[in-house]
Amino acid sequence: MKQHTFLGAVVGAMICSATAWAVEPGEPAPAFTVKNTKGEEVSLSDYKGKVVVLEWINYECPYVKKHYGSGNIPKLQENYKGKGVVWLSVNSAAEGQQGYLAGSELAARSEKEGNKASQIVLDTDGTVGKAYGAKTTPQLVVIDKEGKVAYNGAIDSKDTTDVADIETADSYISMALDSVLSGKTVEKAKTKPYGCGVKYAK
Amino acid sequence: MSENRWRSRRIGYLLAPMKLPILMATALPLFSNVFAGVKSGHAEAELLSGVSSFQVGKPVPLGIRLKFDPGWHGYWINPGEAGMPLSAKWTLPEGWKAGELRHPVPKSFKTGELSGFGYEGEAVYLVDLVPPAGASDAAECRVKLSWLTCNDSACVPGDVELSLTLPAGDGSPGKAADVLAAAEKKIPAAPGEEVSLNVKEAGDAVTLQISAPESLDLTGVKAYPATPQTLADTAELVFTRTNGTWTAEVPKNEYAEGPITLLDIVLDGGKLSAPLSVSWRAKK
Repeated sequence: MKQHTFLGAVVGAMICSATAWAVEPGEPAPAFTVKNTKGEEVSLSDYKGKVVVLEWINYECPYVKKHYGSGNIPKLQENYKGKGVVWLSVNSAAEGQQGYLAGSELAARSEKEGNKASQIVLDTDGTVGKAYGAKTTPQLVVIDKEGKVAYNGAIDSKDTTDVADIETADSYISMALDSVLSGKTVEKAKTKPYGCGVKYAK
Repeated sequence: MSENRWRSRRIGYLLAPMKLPILMATALPLFSNVFAGVKSGHAEAELLSGVSSFQVGKPVPLGIRLKFDPGWHGYWINPGEAGMPLSAKWTLPEGWKAGELRHPVPKSFKTGELSGFGYEGEAVYLVDLVPPAGASDAAECRVKLSWLTCNDSACVPGDVELSLTLPAGDGSPGKAADVLAAAEKKIPAAPGEEVSLNVKEAGDAVTLQISAPESLDLTGVKAYPATPQTLADTAELVFTRTNGTWTAEVPKNEYAEGPITLLDIVLDGGKLSAPLSVSWRAKK
């Protein structure tokens, strides 16, 4: 209980600015509790001992469209879920901002986009986004089995909206997950994320 | 006015001063009138030629003019924390080469919480094409443009394919020569040899030093890092004169990989008569 409060305070302090307090690879992944599209509570602690992916989404963003329209992210979700990874799609858009969808609408839209995440969660007050330094959609975070951030950054190496670039890009998320799953150090643990700005409350 | 009368009126206006074969600007899949922009997303793009014909041995000056819808901005070669620079992919006749795209001086802005560099209103990029020796056929030059425009709420990409055809000739100025000349003034130029940039790092702090003659006054100048992911995009570069050199301190970009080996800085405004680009390369 005490530990939760302490972490809560740390997370609270991190709300100040998405960029100033971005959690660095190697640091403990900030705890959180959010609600999924069905209104059920989801906590990071539910997945203790597992590899967890946090993926920031905004289906209206051309960069997210690149990776869903092509099936790239759904394929990654299926592939790594099959290897025991827990994949959480996070929507940190504030109400009234682009990309915001209420629970059932977010579920329906996610289904339409082919989203295969383990959970789709709403972070409408932006707490989780700011704790992890989520600047763009997409942005990917990998949390290892010890609960430390192993990767935080871009989905891949080609910072464009062109689907044709996926094939020839280095898939940073795949590289990070493959390393974590085989107990190796992630070579590129931090990369500049690319995408549309996360639409936090103004 | 009917479509056809409008079209012939536009062409007539152009033919009068030119007396040379018409410069055709076509955009797929629609035919568009000479010098008409093609809209995609929240910007309109136009391909302009500074000459009405090409001459082997002389570069062919072209311009790409982007007009952004009000409230939307496009991005510079270093777009900042997010955004995407203009991409131009050329399809040229055999042996023709396209030079580097030259970006006009940007302004800095924020897109939501993210700092960026780019353009509002209009931006004209310049590029030189080089015809090969012996080229004599009319040359169709095509370019695929991709860009991103954003406002605080959304980002929308743009994609167009533009082309123009130039006959061989004496390479004399064409109708868009004035537009290109005005655009040239907004493109940073390398300063004389007497101006140099030095870069030193200490941990996460980067010190920039510009050595310049007494006559160069950088008071009030806006400085922008043209090299992506090198200096913190959120920091303002302010140069102050200390002991004959102009110095600025700025944090290193959090995504920089390894020591900085190259850096280009664009300087604009203040007392400068024209924008400058100063470069530093690490000694090998």
